[in-house]
Amino acid sequence: MSSPIAHWDPEYQRRAATIVERYPDVRSAVMPLLYLASLHHGHVTEEAMEEVAALTGLTAAQVQSVASFYTMYKRERVGRYLVSVCTSISCFLRGADEVLAAVEGATGVVDGETDDEGLFTVEHVECIGACGGAPALQVNYEFVEGVTPAKAAELCRWLRDARPEVVLGDEMQLLFGGRPSFDPGAPEPEGAIAPVPAFGPYGSARPGTGGGR
Amino acid sequence: MADAPDQVSITLDGRVVEVPRGALLIAAAIEAGTYIPHFCWHPRMKPVGMCRMCLVEIDTPRGKMLTTSCTTPVADGMVVETSSPVVKKAQEGVIEFLLINHPLDCPVCDKGGECPLQDQTLAYGPGDGRFVEEKRHYPKPIPISDLVALDRERCILCARCTRFSEEISGDPLIEFVDRGNHVEVNTFPNHPFTSYFSGNTVQICPVGALTARPYRFRARPWDLEAVEAVSTVDSVHSKVSLEASMNEIVRISGVDCDPTNQGWLSDKDRFVYEHLLADDRVVVPLIANGDGFREASWGEAVGLAASRLADLGGAVAGLGGARSTNEDAYVFSRFLRGVVGTPHLDAQLDDGLAPEFAAAVEPRALIDDLDDADAILLWGPDLKEELPVLYLRVRKAATAGAKLVVVHPRRTGLDDVAAHTIRYRPGEGPALLRRLAAGEGDLAEARDALGAGKVVALVGRPGLAEPAELAEAVAAFALTLDDARILPLVRRGNVFGALDMGLAPTLLPGRVSVDDAERRRALAARWGSLPDGVGMGATDILEAAASGRIGALVLLGVDPVRDHPRPDLARRALERAFVVALDLFVTDSTRHADVVLPVAGLGEIQGTVTNLEGRVQKLNRVVPPPGQARPAWSILDDLAAALGSELEADAVEKIFEELATLAPAYEGLTWDRFDWAEGRDGVVVPLEGVTPPLRHVPSDPGLAVVSERPALHLARVLYDDGVLVRHCPSLASLAPEAAAHLHPRDASVLAVREGDRVRLEGVGVVELPVVLDPTLAEGTVYVPFNLAETAALGAVPSVRIDVVREAGS
Ligand code: SF4
Ligand code: FES
Ligand code: FES
Repeated sequence: MSSPIAHWDPEYQRRAATIVERYPDVRSAVMPLLYLASLHHGHVTEEAMEEVAALTGLTAAQVQSVASFYTMYKRERVGRYLVSVCTSISCFLRGADEVLAAVEGATGVVDGETDDEGLFTVEHVECIGACGGAPALQVNYEFVEGVTPAKAAELCRWLRDARPEVVLGDEMQLLFGGRPSFDPGAPEPEGAIAPVPAFGPYGSARPGTGGGR
Repeated sequence: MADAPDQVSITLDGRVVEVPRGALLIAAAIEAGTYIPHFCWHPRMKPVGMCRMCLVEIDTPRGKMLTTSCTTPVADGMVVETSSPVVKKAQEGVIEFLLINHPLDCPVCDKGGECPLQDQTLAYGPGDGRFVEEKRHYPKPIPISDLVALDRERCILCARCTRFSEEISGDPLIEFVDRGNHVEVNTFPNHPFTSYFSGNTVQICPVGALTARPYRFRARPWDLEAVEAVSTVDSVHSKVSLEASMNEIVRISGVDCDPTNQGWLSDKDRFVYEHLLADDRVVVPLIANGDGFREASWGEAVGLAASRLADLGGAVAGLGGARSTNEDAYVFSRFLRGVVGTPHLDAQLDDGLAPEFAAAVEPRALIDDLDDADAILLWGPDLKEELPVLYLRVRKAATAGAKLVVVHPRRTGLDDVAAHTIRYRPGEGPALLRRLAAGEGDLAEARDALGAGKVVALVGRPGLAEPAELAEAVAAFALTLDDARILPLVRRGNVFGALDMGLAPTLLPGRVSVDDAERRRALAARWGSLPDGVGMGATDILEAAASGRIGALVLLGVDPVRDHPRPDLARRALERAFVVALDLFVTDSTRHADVVLPVAGLGEIQGTVTNLEGRVQKLNRVVPPPGQARPAWSILDDLAAALGSELEADAVEKIFEELATLAPAYEGLTWDRFDWAEGRDGVVVPLEGVTPPLRHVPSDPGLAVVSERPALHLARVLYDDGVLVRHCPSLASLAPEAAAHLHPRDASVLAVREGDRVRLEGVGVVELPVVLDPTLAEGTVYVPFNLAETAALGAVPSVRIDVVREAGS
């Protein structure tokens, strides 16, 4: 029988094959395959779910169950720029609603929708883990923190005019961001021996030395 | 502390009880008499802890703790509170939560009156809720298949339906979609819930979210009258309750019978009652009149039948009885042999197995043997299509670790749980069997799997075009293994009961060979006389009738034109002979009858039946037969009287008593044994210590190999165009498309593509569209048996294929 993804880009087919091979129980491949299928189709279409079902031996209903559980598997068409505005508690307290309104105004796209041209999709999302830099948003999952309604609108207009091929968090942060949650600094902190464990003894104390807390 | 090693003791609301080690707390408590409310837990499925209704308090080293009793195994010394104030508060909270989005539309809900949510809200709920906001809304209800409707507003997300589909039936077409407050149960768009078992989800849904479309708004549960019976759709005999309202059966529910169906039914078992209410059911005696029939009185019809049978002396034969009760079959056997004086009778139509093998194979397996088998050999029909509840039992055993070896010409419903699947071209079975027995080449692993420990061999005919002897040869091979038992597979309703009642040319009632002189004397003493010698089987009977050597045929619930491998022969026989038919319908066969006598059907009579493992169970009556229909035994009694003989068949209990005296395998049974205690699950015959009946040990018969032409795999499907399904409006539309299935390589040799048409010539000629099936053995054509478009083909080992080319292409 011909492969269910024979019409995919050969590179994607190759990646699908490696994913299928990687898992002894091929059902486990359902999530990476969904991701790949959504790259091929632009989003997780019904066809994509049926293809993943055929590749994994699940039923389409089971694949749909997984795909619909995770909000980052997009089951509707997504624009070239996906603007995700956090509206969870920290961002909400720091004006996320106004940021969202500004984004809607600048893009002309209401929350949860995509414009006809396919340029923007706007959505509100739950906490994206940037509370320290609230209010925060993401463009294609790249962070911009400490934004204001005006800066957010400016960012959207820039996207529309410049149409960057790739969006980079660092670049957007410089142009449109405010105070970020923390400065990652140099990638390798100097003088540190190892990452500080979250729980358990640290410092000079070692387990069994009696000096721990 | 507990004494028995497999018991532990727990304190349940202050009471110390012994419970099985390892049991789930909820099951142990309910078993010990303390009910714990629950929704998602189901004793036949794995727990999920989804609904939180089963919360109890348990003493732990850190104090009392609320926990779900459906996910907690018992431990020795466990102290459990099931109705403390804390537990009650938790239960009230859970109910209040579950009702937040529930529409409370009980007055228009089918489940109302037997709804666990309704009942438990009354018993454990707070009586009021604080949620005043708008509830979730969905269009209600939506059809998710031809049989099931879904109302998502009522769903409490217990996952019983989804777990059933995945864990039990293995076709997860219904699943949760979305998450959080948006979670709903649903199917994939355009992939309806076409499971053969979908009705079970309706039965186990603890609310009215899933309803059966044939039953919707037909009755209120408190108006239903119910009796226990078994499903006679196939020979597994799943336990059911027949539920009637205003003298019509409107619902069949599964009853949990541990040794057989464990609560589950196929949708065919569940919705088959519709045929009883069919408009064209025969409800008055009919006498042939020109091309059709005219209605007649019982006196006239029986008189006519009897006078013609009397004229013909012994040149009479009987066919059928495999869809009747044991009592009907016994009386039929006695009528034919003792009254008419003919040895020619057959319950099968050369579409099953050799009678001695099917009835008396030794050692015979019970269905329960599957559960502790190390390996299961299935060389026979696709169980999902022919014996769906047995399919569930095999699936369960295989999932639990038994090594399943499936041998079949194409993919079967069990392949996904099989350790080894072996395909072969029909006709090449004997050669394959020899290679399997020797463990040659690629069959070595499968042979090894069968070599160790307890083996259950499920043997039957994979397709109707394969010889019955193949099954016996497979059984003979299985008996060369250390510890193997055989379960013979024949589908038709009560075929095993009919054989046990002697409805075969070579058998007398009670699994006795016709040449057992001692038993013959006993029977002749009771019956008055017994014809000499071995009579003819179905095919010979039909040939004799077609050529005039047999002048009359008595048919009891049998449709040879549809079910015999040679439909043309059956038609000629019925056209030529004088035919008396006892049936529910005018069928393709009974339309050729001279007299049609209306018989009562399921739920309209009492009687016993015997399943494929030899389990005798009782059918009860819940409605009167319609019109003038009567039990077959009573009709045969009248016919005998008109022939000047006495059958003494005036009450079903008396007939049962008689057969239990004269049929050795049934010795020791009593009529009311089936009503109480363990007898409710039926009794496997023969009981220990009775007159030993025939014990047939399979032998390896010589088998021919087929020709070079394409082999025919002609196999039954669950929903065919048989008389039952055809008369059930809800099921008739589910029959698959008739097609000739070909392996893609064979198709390319013939230069046909999917959808092209081919003409197949067997006994008759049929024209069918091609479907490509890469799972089919090469050199084979698979055709579903007994669909309207395939009925004429007949069961021949090989067929001729011609491609139908469109003019000009
Ligand atoms: S439909 Fe019924 S069985 Fe299925 S999850 Fe909902 S309540 Fe449970
Ligand atoms: S609340 Fe917005 S990032 Fe956490
Ligand atoms: S029955 Fe235990 S959580 Fe549902």
